[in-house]
Amino acid sequence: MFLKRQMPAIIAIGVGLFILFGHFINNPNVQGFVNNDATQWFDIIASFAIFLGALNMLKLQVLKVVKKQRNWQYSILAIFGFAFAIFAGFFFRGANYITLTDIHPQNVNKLVEYISTVQEVDDPVLMVKGIQGSLASYEIPKIFISRSSAEAFSVTISGIAKDVTLGVKPWGAHVQIKGSLFSWMFFKIFTPLSSTMFALLAFFVASASYRAFRIRNFEATLLLVAGIILMIGRVPVGELVPWWLVSTLMVFGIGALIAPLIPDKKLLFGIIIGGIVLTSGLGILLDWNLAVNMPAILSLPNISEWIFDYPTAAGSRAIMIGIALGIIATSFRIILGIERPF
Amino acid sequence: MNNKLLVISGIASFIIFIYWATFGSWFITGNAPTFVGVIIVSATIFYYIDGAKSGKEIYLRPIPGLKAIEEAVGRATEMGKSVLFVPGISDMDQVDTVAGINILSHVAEITAKYETDLNVPTCRAIVMESAREACRESYLRAGRPDLYYDDMVHYISDDQFAYAAGVNGIMIREKPAACFYQGKFYAESLLLAETGNSIGAIQIAGTGSASQIPFFVTACDYTLIGEEFFAASAYLSNKPELIGSIKGQDIVKFMVMILMVSVFALDSLRQLGILNFDILVLLGLN
Repeated sequence: MFLKRQMPAIIAIGVGLFILFGHFINNPNVQGFVNNDATQWFDIIASFAIFLGALNMLKLQVLKVVKKQRNWQYSILAIFGFAFAIFAGFFFRGANYITLTDIHPQNVNKLVEYISTVQEVDDPVLMVKGIQGSLASYEIPKIFISRSSAEAFSVTISGIAKDVTLGVKPWGAHVQIKGSLFSWMFFKIFTPLSSTMFALLAFFVASASYRAFRIRNFEATLLLVAGIILMIGRVPVGELVPWWLVSTLMVFGIGALIAPLIPDKKLLFGIIIGGIVLTSGLGILLDWNLAVNMPAILSLPNISEWIFDYPTAAGSRAIMIGIALGIIATSFRIILGIERPF
Repeated sequence: MNNKLLVISGIASFIIFIYWATFGSWFITGNAPTFVGVIIVSATIFYYIDGAKSGKEIYLRPIPGLKAIEEAVGRATEMGKSVLFVPGISDMDQVDTVAGINILSHVAEITAKYETDLNVPTCRAIVMESAREACRESYLRAGRPDLYYDDMVHYISDDQFAYAAGVNGIMIREKPAACFYQGKFYAESLLLAETGNSIGAIQIAGTGSASQIPFFVTACDYTLIGEEFFAASAYLSNKPELIGSIKGQDIVKFMVMILMVSVFALDSLRQLGILNFDILVLLGLN
């Protein structure tokens, strides 16, 4: 019971206090622990814990297939993917390469031609220069997943150089070398799938924006107006919106705000038309067509910048201060052992 | 003032004294304002924890998102569907995840009482283990340890989008009636929340990631914003010592407000040449 209950609390409180006050103690060992060792310990524990997670995932998927639970077919794909990644990472390097020694200078162009049959060559001239610079020993810039394909290619180019040798990239390095089985899996399967999920975000942003911008109340209207101003103000076309359009829209906005206070619609109409005439007349009189004369408030990029720099920044900072204080209070509760999520 | 508080104040004063007395040798130069800040914040929070423990009444304003937790689980029970709890994609080194696990323990207690299925897909193995421990305790507390099984908390993937795809798949296939997103989230927040919205689930989100709050506000029924998320476990537990820390946190916020206004006023007076005192230098900001 002590190991399960008190011990974790003692460790959490002790390490928590030590790291908190360690930030202020002028000692290289303490600083080393706070800045490096503590985080490395966490990384080590997390690395071991990954086995727990992987085994749990595998167990659940296997059980699903064995018991033929609902949608068990998807689990076959998950198990296959897991097994394939383990195979490519731990059991099969799939990173064979060919090295040529003592290449005859007259065979360089021929070699480039051969290479272009198995690997896309962007700049043949550059490749020729590269080979000419290392005629004594040159590694072909192509990784062969299977040894048999590497052997077949080495037979093809056997007359090019005095000696053709086959090699395999070392364990560990094979997962990062472009062209290996693992990198093929990563770049041809995993990356496109991740990108697909990320790309879905564009559609979800559209549907979420639609819902947020639906005019239901004053706040939603404010959000819609601010959103439109920000969207237009942040693109080049926003600079082309003329002052009279912005001033007219502003008059309409003010009209919408004061509308509930003026029951007489004719009077309201008169105020709005008067406002438009007044602003337009002022603009013509003061020559607002010239950028230097135009008030900054009538430029959409300026308005969007103001919205971003002041109301948005103020709101987000208020939330950030709240979050920071929340983090401090939660950390304090954990360090003192008042709250124990472990 | 009680004796305990006097002792704490004494210790704090002693630490501050040592700090100033040995400045530059034992302590890191330049960290003085932060250190004093830590001491003041800690002492304030501790004071209110102590006050709450001694029976002082503390009012907490109602938070709709927290009140809706029981309602969401109840809805899932009535519909005969499961409850999905997503604890974010970060590890236990993030306070957000810790706060998420704390909320999970309350949700698990309600699902245990209502005999509703709970599904907790995790992105990190350590979070999986912590979440299991929290759920096990909650089912035990609710008097239903028989309903708990380890696999209600399961691991999907460490990768952000693989995890999002996995959770979205669970949502589409199992159609949970209530979805909780409580933890640290990044770009996957909207993927999850919009999918949850499309299946008609009641959704309650909470995160400390300021950039993801707008997405949750848009797509979820209730969102715990900022400090509400970190106060959630204290609010739900109703334990005096935890509620006291919330009060302390609010007092610190009030102190921060006063400090901000004071700094603004004093610095304005200095810039106008009325005052010959630089508050920014004192706070280590200049």
